[in-house]
Amino acid sequence: MADPAFGGDPIRSILAAAGASGTWDWDIAADRLAVDERFAELYGLSAGEASALPPSMFFKAIHAADRARMRIAVAGMIAGAEQFSKEFRIVAPDGTILWVHGRGQTHFDESDQPVRFTGLLVDVTARKRTEERLRVAQSTGGVGTFEYSDGFATATVSNEFCRLLGLYPAEILPVPTINAVLKSKDEPPLIPESHRGGPPETLDHVFCIVRNDDGAERWIARRGEIVREGQDGGYRLIGVIYDVTATKEQEAALRDLNETLEARIEQAVAERQRIEEALRQAQKMEAVGNLTGGIAHDFNNLLTIILGNIDTATRRLDSDADPRARRALENALKGAERATSLTQRLLAFSRRQPLAPRAIDAGRLLAGMSDLLTRSITETIAIQVSSSPGLWTVEVDPNQLENVILNLAVNARDAMPDGGALTIDASNASIAADASSDVPAGSYVVISVGDTGTGMAPETVAQVFDPFFTTKEVGKGTGLGLSMVYGFIKQSGGHVQIRSALGQGTTVALYLPRLYRESEALEDDVRIGAERGTLAETILVVEDDDDVRAYTVGLLRELGYRVTEASNGFAALKLIEANDQPISLLMTDVVMPKMSGSQLVDAAQQIRPELKVLFTSGYTRDAIMRDGKLDTDVDLLSKPFTYPVLAAKVRDVLDR
Amino acid sequence: MNSPDLTLDDLERDALTEIVNIGVSRAASNLRKMIGGEVLLSVPSIDVVSQRRAARLISEREVTELVAVRQGFEGPFSGRALLIFPETNSLELVRAVTGGELSAAEVVEMEVEALAETGNVILNSCLATMANMLKRSLTMTVPEVLRGTGASLFEVDESASSEGLVLFLYIDFAVRKHDIRGYIAMIMDIPSLGILKELLDEFIARVVGDDG
Repeated sequence: MADPAFGGDPIRSILAAAGASGTWDWDIAADRLAVDERFAELYGLSAGEASALPPSMFFKAIHAADRARMRIAVAGMIAGAEQFSKEFRIVAPDGTILWVHGRGQTHFDESDQPVRFTGLLVDVTARKRTEERLRVAQSTGGVGTFEYSDGFATATVSNEFCRLLGLYPAEILPVPTINAVLKSKDEPPLIPESHRGGPPETLDHVFCIVRNDDGAERWIARRGEIVREGQDGGYRLIGVIYDVTATKEQEAALRDLNETLEARIEQAVAERQRIEEALRQAQKMEAVGNLTGGIAHDFNNLLTIILGNIDTATRRLDSDADPRARRALENALKGAERATSLTQRLLAFSRRQPLAPRAIDAGRLLAGMSDLLTRSITETIAIQVSSSPGLWTVEVDPNQLENVILNLAVNARDAMPDGGALTIDASNASIAADASSDVPAGSYVVISVGDTGTGMAPETVAQVFDPFFTTKEVGKGTGLGLSMVYGFIKQSGGHVQIRSALGQGTTVALYLPRLYRESEALEDDVRIGAERGTLAETILVVEDDDDVRAYTVGLLRELGYRVTEASNGFAALKLIEANDQPISLLMTDVVMPKMSGSQLVDAAQQIRPELKVLFTSGYTRDAIMRDGKLDTDVDLLSKPFTYPVLAAKVRDVLDR
Repeated sequence: MNSPDLTLDDLERDALTEIVNIGVSRAASNLRKMIGGEVLLSVPSIDVVSQRRAARLISEREVTELVAVRQGFEGPFSGRALLIFPETNSLELVRAVTGGELSAAEVVEMEVEALAETGNVILNSCLATMANMLKRSLTMTVPEVLRGTGASLFEVDESASSEGLVLFLYIDFAVRKHDIRGYIAMIMDIPSLGILKELLDEFIARVVGDDG
């Protein structure tokens, strides 16, 4: 490939490639310069004039930028310096610029006076270009080179090599000086010395160094080749180094980012798992609620039959009947009543118990419970029941509230196996809008039940309202107590707060919303009596369960009413339309297939708007329920019901 | 280098290098006569650095203790000149100078004397040539041999607010085919270096003339 620097002259290119050289002989004493043919050709001189030139001719072809430098160098030689070794540019006659290496020496006479200056001019343009390219590659690429020969104490290095390590530029550096920049002396050496035994396996490595000039810590990568020479295992290491600090830092930053990303993902996943867990718990509770609600409904139907029939059997017993039979029936009644109470609790937990809230004075309710509490709680526990004067009225199902308070009192008792104090208190509380409370702003009557017992750890407190969570031994608690409390209070529009710490006792506060309605006439307890009916009063009983229907019809007839019956809404409507006997009261189950109780009532009241209605239900989350409370103008008889309750309710509705 | 005026430019550096080259050439000639064997001396390059930097520079290049011959000079510019060898090279120099006929013990015994003599020849030649080429005169003190680190040889004073400069010259030294690595250093204060710079400029003007 012809080098453009040689202007396409093939002979010159070949000569240059061969390192063509010319010689000179400068006679200092005679002040005359003689050059050979090749020198003359480089300088564009004719062969004839080459033997007797004025010495200034030596500088004629030298590039202007190098001329002063060469004049100084030659002046040194003429004045007695011995060694001459300079690289400079000459401008050939055709304008081509060549790099040449002049190598010369001075000859002295006996009195040490310089007499001749002779030398050799070698065209080094090709080498110079290569060096230039290498230098530019090194400086712009930030790559330093090194070469180390097995057995030597020094390495040949480039300026860029020194710069990268913060060393003063040098061509040759002792190996210990180079290796001293390593941050850790335990690292493999930058230049592995041969006394470490044989050549290294590879030159690929990344080092952490402390730059010698500014003390900066940098990462330096080394790459290279191991050149084996001779047969005695000798070798040379030829390689490069370059700074990889930025890459290392980016790697570290990326790794950092990755690590925090993992942490962030873990956090998000944990949060998601927590939410999923909560959702699963809610779904489970919903499913359990549906199941228990359904079971309770069926049980209530069955219990209605059982209770009703025990009731009937008991009433039919003569006074001289076998006392064992009477006792057996009494026991059966007790068992059925306990079963009733259990289904009631299941309904409360599933928040599907029909509540009958009434305006009450909580203080009076507490006072009425004193006896019951004293009997339920062991003597080692001091009971104090109090209520602030001027308590506001609340609207709540009093029977259920009593249950709840009793439940809490029993829990308190169980938390104080070695005795203590149980405090039950009712007071007014106004929560401000800006108060940092779990309880929304408003006016409340607070019933608090506190003990001085073992208390609970925060993680236990967090779980106490979960259904089936119990701290009691297996078999001792249902785990439904506090969740029933929670369900009931929530259903009543209130809030529950629990404060507890290990060894500090527990206080449960029930916040019941204040009732603003006129409350001068607080309702009395349900009247209980067996009011009878007459044959002039016809009651239509609609019930899909044949046994329950038969039992209900039997009771009503016993009470003296005229009774007609239907097993579904359509049959009932036909009877109402037919109007053979004017119907005084429609008594219907709420949950029935095809036509529900409320649909039936709607249709019936289209025909007879004044028709009186009594719903019966063991399972009431239906149209007659609004926010878990009965519509005020709807009458509901909860299954299972007993003879006197049925009698009183029917009479009550008919007499309005 | 506290002031840009004191930085030697390329030509001043070349001029000083060549002047020292003439000096070491004369020294080589004298040494050849002294020992009757081949001696080659040349100075490829020169640096002007602070004393502290000179100390670091030499400690980067030489991992062993240093041996130096020191000579003071006075004139238009004054200072101290040092010829420095790594300790290992100094014994080799003595062996080379004495023709390798001495035992190890004798070499050690003769080291100081041989070094002082060799150093005197080289430093004297350099300083005399400088004075001659720059057309000034310098007086020199008796040489002394020192051992120590870069910092001690270059008289680094950590508490000094301003420091002098060092003309740092590398020399290629071959005695009877033994390659010996060494350095010539001239420690000067700032006014002295200023004067040296002016004298170098005069020299350049004389040599280059209008051709520059």
